[in-house]
Amino acid sequence: MSLPATRIRPAGYGLVRTGPASFLVHRRSLLAAGALLLLLAAVSVAYLCAGEKTVPPGEVLTVLTGGDSPAAFVVEELRVPRLVTALAVGAAFGIAGALIQTVARNPLASPDIIGISQGAGALTVAAMTFGLASYTVLPYLSIAGGVLAAALVYVFAWRGGLHATRFVLIGIGFAIALRSLITLFMTKGDYLVAQQAQIWMTGSLNGRGWDESAPVRWTLLAMLPAVLWTARAQRTVALDDSTATALGVRLGRVRLGLVAVGVVLASVATGVAGPVDFVALLAPQIARRVTRTAQIPLFCSALLGALIVTAADLVGRRLFSPVELPVGVLTAAVGAPYLIWLIVRSRTGEKA
Amino acid sequence: MTAAFRSRRVLATSAAVVALLLAVLLSLAVGARPIAPGTVLDALLHGAGGDDAEVVRELRVPRTVIGLMVGAALALAGTALQGITRNPIADPGILGISQGSSVAVVLAIAFLGVHSLSGYVWFAFAGAALASVAVYAIAHSGRGGATPVKLALGGAAINALLLSVTTGVLTTKAAALDEFRFWQTGSLDGRDAATIGQIWPFLLLGAVLVLSVARGLDALALGEDVAKGLGQKVATVRIVGGLGATVLTGAAVAAAGPIAFVGLAVPHIARAVVGSDHRWVLPMAALIGPVMVLTADVAGRIVFPPGEVPAGVMTALIGVPFLVTLVRRKAVPA
Repeated sequence: MSLPATRIRPAGYGLVRTGPASFLVHRRSLLAAGALLLLLAAVSVAYLCAGEKTVPPGEVLTVLTGGDSPAAFVVEELRVPRLVTALAVGAAFGIAGALIQTVARNPLASPDIIGISQGAGALTVAAMTFGLASYTVLPYLSIAGGVLAAALVYVFAWRGGLHATRFVLIGIGFAIALRSLITLFMTKGDYLVAQQAQIWMTGSLNGRGWDESAPVRWTLLAMLPAVLWTARAQRTVALDDSTATALGVRLGRVRLGLVAVGVVLASVATGVAGPVDFVALLAPQIARRVTRTAQIPLFCSALLGALIVTAADLVGRRLFSPVELPVGVLTAAVGAPYLIWLIVRSRTGEKA
Repeated sequence: MTAAFRSRRVLATSAAVVALLLAVLLSLAVGARPIAPGTVLDALLHGAGGDDAEVVRELRVPRTVIGLMVGAALALAGTALQGITRNPIADPGILGISQGSSVAVVLAIAFLGVHSLSGYVWFAFAGAALASVAVYAIAHSGRGGATPVKLALGGAAINALLLSVTTGVLTTKAAALDEFRFWQTGSLDGRDAATIGQIWPFLLLGAVLVLSVARGLDALALGEDVAKGLGQKVATVRIVGGLGATVLTGAAVAAAGPIAFVGLAVPHIARAVVGSDHRWVLPMAALIGPVMVLTADVAGRIVFPPGEVPAGVMTALIGVPFLVTLVRRKAVPA
């Protein structure tokens, strides 16, 4: 620390040099990410252990490392696919929420605020109620509905640029209108259909295996470069409009890019598991408070999203077994208390 | 404040009053049984007999009065909450207050065997109150008191928790869902004079509370420090305004179910018309809210005869174009 050159670094950042390249790393974020990864690994193992037939952790690890075990079928065929789905869906919602909150500059913004969940829901519940589509088609309907709704909001909110507040307000307007349609559709069918719709609207991982989770896994993979770009672009959008524009940031394009990535991730995740709403709201907010960075940290949001969904599904499967609660019932119950605790012990001057 | 602007305010208020009168007249005259305005006035003023007069007096007057009350209550509550949290998308729904009512009603249906509208009322009320207290307690604890961000996030967190209780019950008890799905759309159908009697004292109390902090909300809009500098007791403004908004929301949800959108959109429309002075915005919202709810209710009666589309659905469908137009028109929305 004796060299004056090192003092230019912003507080809380460390320098990493790898040969010719060097970059800044936020130390607290790194620690938080490490801790979250460990926690996620622990929850994942617990997820694989728990069920109708309890498998000891040692056996689970044996199965995962390719060893022979009597529990191989239960773990590999039944639990691993669903766990992977939970992780992928959670990560997708976490990233989507972080991006949408960044663009909207509002901690309350999430996929259900800008109409993605409701767009997906309106199409899906309509198809259920009026028997228009088979269950194999439903996921694609919800993806289409989510993207369509978000596109509509974007078109209506665009006026020589995308103003954050305008975007959120128009989004929430559309969201409420679509939500009203959903409740209307739910009164049109018989109660069995209403119940199916209610469970879908809540979000469930029941019977989601490799085939069902393929879209969200491939999307996450395909979006990886885009997500890496958003991690950089996010910083510029976090500034106020005039500063960002003065620095030469093309705000309109960057925002469109960020929203588009968020919308695609949220829509695909919704198609797989239904709109597990509060994950996208809670994960980024918890991540920001844990890492104490200026922007909403993407990687930690993804980890927290995965953690919330996996833990919630674990509790949902075991709490009233053999009756299973849909994962969406418990995501809030798992995530919200922690956010509340963070708010309660927050320091002054904390921003959204 | 120019003279032109002042006269524009007066003009806008007059226009809103005329619109409200029209909406009331429509609500009394239009429906499965169209009744001429003249007959409506006869039934009201001269106690005329006959079937038409009966329909007006026994069915449509209570329904219209409920619509008036609910619209005004939600609009006032939304305006107050947006002022307190300084968040343009705050409304009774997103802050968990309506959700509190929903949870209470769901639990009442599922576990206490309550199956009537008049039975729901008190549960809805208690739920709203408890949810608000929880949100404020969370936001208020810790250093810095109930800052806008903490209020908004605390509301969202409580909303999430309460929704998980609601969905937990609904996904496991089919019978409760069968009943609740009709209540949750929000409707003015089948409400009678007894509901009005249960609700109006709360509406009055809430309106007085919210109106009493109008100046405080103006100061809060400038930021907390400025508000303190102007001699406003910030905490008092928040508590009184929040209490008013809670009582209003509880009354509205108890009477008509969780009608969305009014609390969110009306404050923006009112601000667009009369500026940002809460002494004008609040009364204006109280005029526009009922116009929105009554128009939606009337439209719901005639869209798909013989069935009705619940007011809660129509409100959002009719209101969205308004909100979109308005938000697009302004250079920088509130």
